[in-house]
Parts: sequence; structure tokens; C-alpha cells
Amino acid sequence: MGTASKLASNEVVSDAPSAAIPPDWREEFDAAARRPLRTRFRYSFIHTYKPVLDDAPFRAFDTTAEYRRWCEENLPDWLGYGRV
Amino acid sequence: MGAFEYRQAEEIRDTFSQHGIRYLFIGKSGAILLGFPDTTQDADLFVERNPQNCRALVGALRSLGFELTENQAAEIERGKDFVQLKNGPFDLDLIFAPDGIERFDDAWQRHIDVEGFPVCHIDDIIASKLATNRQKDRESLPRLQSFRAYWLQKGRRG
Repeated sequence: MGTASKLASNEVVSDAPSAAIPPDWREEFDAAARRPLRTRFRYSFIHTYKPVLDDAPFRAFDTTAEYRRWCEENLPDWLGYGRV
Repeated sequence: MGAFEYRQAEEIRDTFSQHGIRYLFIGKSGAILLGFPDTTQDADLFVERNPQNCRALVGALRSLGFELTENQAAEIERGKDFVQLKNGPFDLDLIFAPDGIERFDDAWQRHIDVEGFPVCHIDDIIASKLATNRQKDRESLPRLQSFRAYWLQKGRRG
């Protein structure tokens, strides 16, 4: 694939598909694989109100960096949009 | 506003196809299409930025029921890096320049077709989340990386 080189050097995901998968996650992946896509959708998409973020019908940002800054400066920390 | 539904994803797929738009599902919504069991709130679309694609995108969004003013339509046509839509039948993020992916064409060459839905490769989804480096991405990355390993083992294509 060759795409692993794009990732941060200390966080490269191994191209080898044999990386350890926690057993409980593997069970969940297996269960999801048995469900049709329509069912996966029903379980996966939820909607809860996000303060500030949901309070405008339209926002556009010239750059992605500008959007990230806006999130950090305007959204509550607990929403998790702040960069680490 | 309810949760994003499969029927609405189909509407995006079919309408965007009719309008000839080049785009990819990205982010957690893309991972879910690939089979990742997790939750998210809205759909993220990586849209190719070129004048023809962006003009067609405005028409497609209006067909889907998004109420765009002329100014808003103009901003989409200009291909701003990030557009957040909450003025339609569902929430939608349009991303023209995602973190961690240099060119749309690169992602397109690697993309996966899942029942007609064009989806970024899991490596691009992970690369984008790593580059974005938000708290919420950091929290979901270990599980997403495990899913990548699983997905490769199974040779799955959605």
C-alpha cells in the first residue's frame, strides 16, 4: 500500500495485518461484519445537540487550519475538538 | 434534526452521481461504511476542488434540500477548505482540503467502493485523523487502527 509513510513517524500503523487486536474488539468487528450496511448505519449514526457547533446553519472557512482554530477558540473543551 | 440515515446516504450517492460529482466519504462516517463499528453524528465528504465539481455540488446540494443563499453557494463554488452545512435534511461537512491527505487524486486512486458509496481507504482515514490530532480523534485512533488490522486480515471491501 505504501501509505503508512504518510503517518507521523512515531505513530505509523504497521502494514502487516497481523497487529494484535484486542479480543473484545475483534468480536465487535466480527459482529459488525455480519450485519448489512443498512443495519450498521442504524447503529452508528446518532444525533445529540452540540453547543455552539450546532447553532449556525452554515459555516465556511478559507482554510482547514482556520476551522481548527475556530473550533479551539469557540467550542467547549469537552466536545473534544481541541488539538492535543 | 434526526440522526443521519442510510436512506439519506443513498440520496447523496444517487444525487451526486447524477450531477457527476467526484467525492469520497471520509472520517468516521467513511470508516463506518468500511465496517467499523462505532458511532458518529454526521457525514464528512472529501470533495474534489475544481470549478466544475464545485458548481455541480451546489446544484446537487439544492436537489437534496439544502437551502443555500447565493452567498453560501458562492462560497462552496469557490471551494473553501471546510464547509459545515446544517441547513438541510441532515448535517454534512464538506472538506476540500483534509489534514493528512495531499491531493484528492491520491485518495481517489486508493478509494474503496462500498455498495456504490465511494469511500476513502482506511489508511487515508487514519492519516487524516492523525494529522488533525484532536482529542476526539486521539481517543478513537487505537480502535480504528485495530479495525485497520482486522480489515486487512479479512481482505474486506466494506
